[in-house]
Amino acid sequence: MLWFERQVVDALGSAVGDRQADVRDYVDGTLRLMPESIRAGIVAESLLLGSWPRLQQLFGRYEPHSLDHRIARWEASPIAPIRQYVRALRALVLFAEYEMAGDH
Amino acid sequence: MTTTLATDVLVIGSGAGGSVTAATLVSAGHDVTVVEEGPWIDPDAVEPFSLDEFVLKYRHRGMGSAALGVPPIAYAEGCCVGGSTEVNSGLWHRLPPAFVNEWQREYHIEEFTSDTLDRYAEEIERELSVSHLPGAPPPSSAVLERGATKLGWRSVEFLRVFRHDGNDRGVKQTMARTLLPRAVAAGAKVIPECAVTRLIRQGDRVLGARCRRRNPDGVTEELIIHADHVFVCGGAMQTPALLQRSGIRHQIGVGLKLHPSIKIAAVFPQALDHGDVPMHRVTEFSPNLTIGGSASRQSHIALALADSSTDFSDALANWENIAVYYAAIRSEGSGRVIAVPGLRSPLVSYRLTDGDLSRLARGLIHLGELLLAAGATELYPSLTGGPVVRRPEELVQWWDGATRSRTNLMTIHLTSSIRMSQDPNRAGTDSFGRVWGYQNLRVNDASLLPDAPGVNPQAGIMSIAARNCAQFLSQS
Repeated sequence: MLWFERQVVDALGSAVGDRQADVRDYVDGTLRLMPESIRAGIVAESLLLGSWPRLQQLFGRYEPHSLDHRIARWEASPIAPIRQYVRALRALVLFAEYEMAGDH
Repeated sequence: MTTTLATDVLVIGSGAGGSVTAATLVSAGHDVTVVEEGPWIDPDAVEPFSLDEFVLKYRHRGMGSAALGVPPIAYAEGCCVGGSTEVNSGLWHRLPPAFVNEWQREYHIEEFTSDTLDRYAEEIERELSVSHLPGAPPPSSAVLERGATKLGWRSVEFLRVFRHDGNDRGVKQTMARTLLPRAVAAGAKVIPECAVTRLIRQGDRVLGARCRRRNPDGVTEELIIHADHVFVCGGAMQTPALLQRSGIRHQIGVGLKLHPSIKIAAVFPQALDHGDVPMHRVTEFSPNLTIGGSASRQSHIALALADSSTDFSDALANWENIAVYYAAIRSEGSGRVIAVPGLRSPLVSYRLTDGDLSRLARGLIHLGELLLAAGATELYPSLTGGPVVRRPEELVQWWDGATRSRTNLMTIHLTSSIRMSQDPNRAGTDSFGRVWGYQNLRVNDASLLPDAPGVNPQAGIMSIAARNCAQFLSQS
């Protein structure tokens, strides 16, 4: 999982502590096992969407909370692949969080 | 280190087609070896539709596969001993006679009639214990029946591949519980965690397969299996990919068919059951549009609610009152499966027609009508930005919302990526699954169906596989 993907996963999730680490592990493992063509698309979008946050991080100006606003914008984006990027990662996070909660 | 084995019949894949092939041929006295890419998991080891099941029994953990297109269509495949029969809902529906007749005429398929297929289906049904759920349907299934009755629509309770021995829920008769143990008892060898990288060809014959096997100690070794006859039964995605990797490309991987499905998460005033999949289906618009119910654990409900992109936290707080339903269509469009050199997974694409999109929108609205008639109070569609609906007159808003860029689709039925026909220009195999140009190479799985059947394809796959095995035995 790329640095930016981990930021998005953390921003989309509500789990903390060990549970958050478990969710990250699950998402990481699932991304690794994806068909290469799908994974390549997600990596490309991560690099594109994450370039500015990454620069901010390198200069010590990255605020994790600023990502919430970006994600909200991307979810409403008129560009379908950008919406689907958030949708794909959100699906992994939601599935892991609710399954790991064992509350069913 | 390379290990070499020899067998009379090599069966690649252990799902609905591979299991029938293995059990039938070993019973007839053949030396049979089955290789399966996935692990052998005890059918009782994990809860149905849980994260553990997705991780252990699905390819790509069931969450990462999609047919590329506008819109993309997410799909899932089983990847374990027993294949997708281990993870599906177990609904059982023989091939509709109208399609059998149509396919026979259009594809010039020999000895392909409903009577023939029904004979094989009856044998399999006896073997697997196909039955209805005893007693009253669970609430999530009764919703479909109740809504259909109020609207004057037809609905049926489908048969399922379940055995009920005093157990209310019953036990799904997957291949790992039924035909595969029977095949092993008769002398077949099943090798799990063994992925076939390519077939070994010479002229018009296949000599065997080159495999990578993961041993129980975690070490991976190369395995070469020599065989007199090879049956490829890896399903509609993996079978064409393997043939293409092996240099066999004539009419292979074209014509892929799916049942694109669109979903609604429906909120009811009362709690529903969440441990099983509804067994009722609304058949008023069949075969081109079918309405049914999906797995509805809390995690699935969260995913379905999230698909509407509206704030769903209040609804999810009462998740016990929510269940997920779908409308699935027979699609006019088709797709391709392409094995790309160097990549583990094939590239899959699917082109939905405008007519398909229109049918999906109509299906979504019909599904909404039905759920409101059955007492639902709120409906969340799998349309990005799709408004939550509470009254029938609001459903029309979804018509404009179901566009290519805002519709979120998925499927679990994948067929027709090779097809069978006596016309080599129309299909990759002859009428009985023998690959054109090869004496001893056969396909025996969902790839053979000439088109999507509009129902769960397991019964059709198994009946056709049994028919093809009978023809093979009569020839050999």
